[in-house]
Amino acid sequence: MFLHEMKYYILSMLRNKVLVFWLIAFPIGLGTLFHLAFSGLYDKTTKFSTIPVAIVENSADPVFDTIIDSMCSGDDPMLSSQKVAEDKALKMLESGDIKGIIYNCGTYRTLTVYGSGMDQTILKEFLDQYAAEEKMIKNAVMHDPNSAEKVISIFADEASSCREIPVTHGNTDNFIQYFYNLLAMTALYNALVGLRIAENNSPNMSVLGARKGAAPAKGITNILGSFAGSFILSTLCTCIAVSFIHFILGVDFGKRLPLVYLSAIVGGMLGISMGFMVGVLGKGGLRLKNGIVMSVCMMSCFISGLMLGEMKAFIAKFAPWFNSINPASLISDSFYCLNIYGDYRRFITKMASMLIMSAVFTLIGFIMSRRKSYASI
Amino acid sequence: MTNTVVKIDNLVKRYGDLIALDHFSLEIYEGEILGLLGPNGSGKTTTINCLLSLLTYDKGDIQIFGREMTPVSYDIKKDIGVIMQNVAVIEELTVYENIDYFCGLYITDKQKRRQCVDEAIRFVGLDDFRKFYPKKLSGGLLRRLNIACGIAHKPKLIILDEPTVAVDPQSRNRILEGIQELNRAGATIIYTSHYMEEVEKICTRIVIMDKGHKIADGTNDELKRMIKNTETISIEALELPDKVLMLINELPHVYDTVYSDGRLTVRCSGGKHNLMRVLDVMEKNGIAFGRVYTELPTLNDVFLELIGTDLRDKEE
Repeated sequence: MFLHEMKYYILSMLRNKVLVFWLIAFPIGLGTLFHLAFSGLYDKTTKFSTIPVAIVENSADPVFDTIIDSMCSGDDPMLSSQKVAEDKALKMLESGDIKGIIYNCGTYRTLTVYGSGMDQTILKEFLDQYAAEEKMIKNAVMHDPNSAEKVISIFADEASSCREIPVTHGNTDNFIQYFYNLLAMTALYNALVGLRIAENNSPNMSVLGARKGAAPAKGITNILGSFAGSFILSTLCTCIAVSFIHFILGVDFGKRLPLVYLSAIVGGMLGISMGFMVGVLGKGGLRLKNGIVMSVCMMSCFISGLMLGEMKAFIAKFAPWFNSINPASLISDSFYCLNIYGDYRRFITKMASMLIMSAVFTLIGFIMSRRKSYASI
Repeated sequence: MTNTVVKIDNLVKRYGDLIALDHFSLEIYEGEILGLLGPNGSGKTTTINCLLSLLTYDKGDIQIFGREMTPVSYDIKKDIGVIMQNVAVIEELTVYENIDYFCGLYITDKQKRRQCVDEAIRFVGLDDFRKFYPKKLSGGLLRRLNIACGIAHKPKLIILDEPTVAVDPQSRNRILEGIQELNRAGATIIYTSHYMEEVEKICTRIVIMDKGHKIADGTNDELKRMIKNTETISIEALELPDKVLMLINELPHVYDTVYSDGRLTVRCSGGKHNLMRVLDVMEKNGIAFGRVYTELPTLNDVFLELIGTDLRDKEE
């Protein structure tokens, strides 16, 4: 009976276009849209354009000229420079043809810019770094005239005295939060599957439920079979969604990918149990309960920051406890913890919260559906 | 008809202040096709839901196959087939899968189930539609699928709650013939309907319900004998003065006359040659008349007399 129920539940759910849309097409479609939108944003924020600059030479400095030439060469040069007289340089700066004027006075260099911005900052940083390195080379040569070549080669290799040690196993992109929330939303949409379990097994919700209620099959066996079918279906859909986002769209979920799958699967379970509980609670009809389930999912996702990025921080500031019981926040936070923190403590806490909530929802659902006869149907 | 299959004793069911079943008692015997007839709200569906233990009730006892019926009477439920008023099938499963699914709730053995499903499909004439999804079926075929889902496991007691609503005449006849065939095969049947001609045609016993009460119980002929009406005469007449109407009303055995829209309706109670006497009065008074016909009492007349209104009027 259990396997019979499970088999037909999976079959009917797989053929249900609405559920297939929300559980598979929706995360794939929206994930693709996110990917297209955010990869464009990355390009805009990370791609530098060549900075036009004028050099006003008050005294000859062949070393600096060589450096400038190297900065102006290559496929993607940082600078495009031209040596001009001061008057012309000022006019060019004023008209916006160049971003800055470098005055080369031999022993030192000054920068004149018009306004502020990324390009102006880069020019300033460049000159500061040049001055610092020039001073270090001069000091080294003063102490040991033979060390000049060695010092220059070190600078050429861009050696750093700081070693970067990653504190996280994952991807720290700001935009990845949207993918976490998307997966959380997909997991929560499993509530529709849970609601269907309630609908199909409650005589007061559907004629199908009444027909099953009149059959000699034990209600608990039917529900457990449906639950098992839902869980398998949810796991399948979750794996497809996570795999698509990670492997096809190339979104980096960090080095703990199996746990990302696990987290999404547990999230799906939370969604199923929530839908089941809403389904068996109260007297409302299927349409009302469907509305309640969808509203709860949307609200939960809104509060977790899917629609408005700042929302989550706002809730964290004013009602932090709410993020601990908001299903969508729990699911997306579990991904976040997995990706950001080195240890598993926070991740385990989130997973435990989700499992406890699933157990509570399921238990309430089972207790409510144990009733065999109804006052009205 | 000696074995009692269903025994309902003093059943009371309230929905708040509304009494849906008021000390309702009924016995159904093996091999019967029992027709439950009554308008909406008369308590037919409530009776069935109580019978199936889907509804709680305030008072009374229900026994099926000699045992008390409870929500966990699985041994009783396995011998009951239910065909609900609304089609209860799974949209995403094919005809075969739907029947197999519901049959699987009763029969776990796959081999036996396959045989039962095939037989049910043949029985309702859906052989050519095995792989069709319900939404691709016409209303009549969908009703047949609904029936197949309820009878595939070969139940001893079949409950059909208005199975022919919104069904074309051809499918309706097929369904009615099917019900009689199931009965001949040994099933006891409880059949609820609004359609009196259906009940009259197939039911071996009829129970008329209204406002949760049993108004009448008997065979078709027994019910008709319960009422005063034995003959209804209808005559088309363009004009009929009140004086003539009074003369007809005073004829022996005539107990009711109505003249409306050019048609005279005369209801008689017993006696012979009533039509001759009525036509004689009209002829003597120079009344021209057109078509004349006479009807023996129908279930509608029974309903009209017992409940005080036409069943179809009540539906509206």
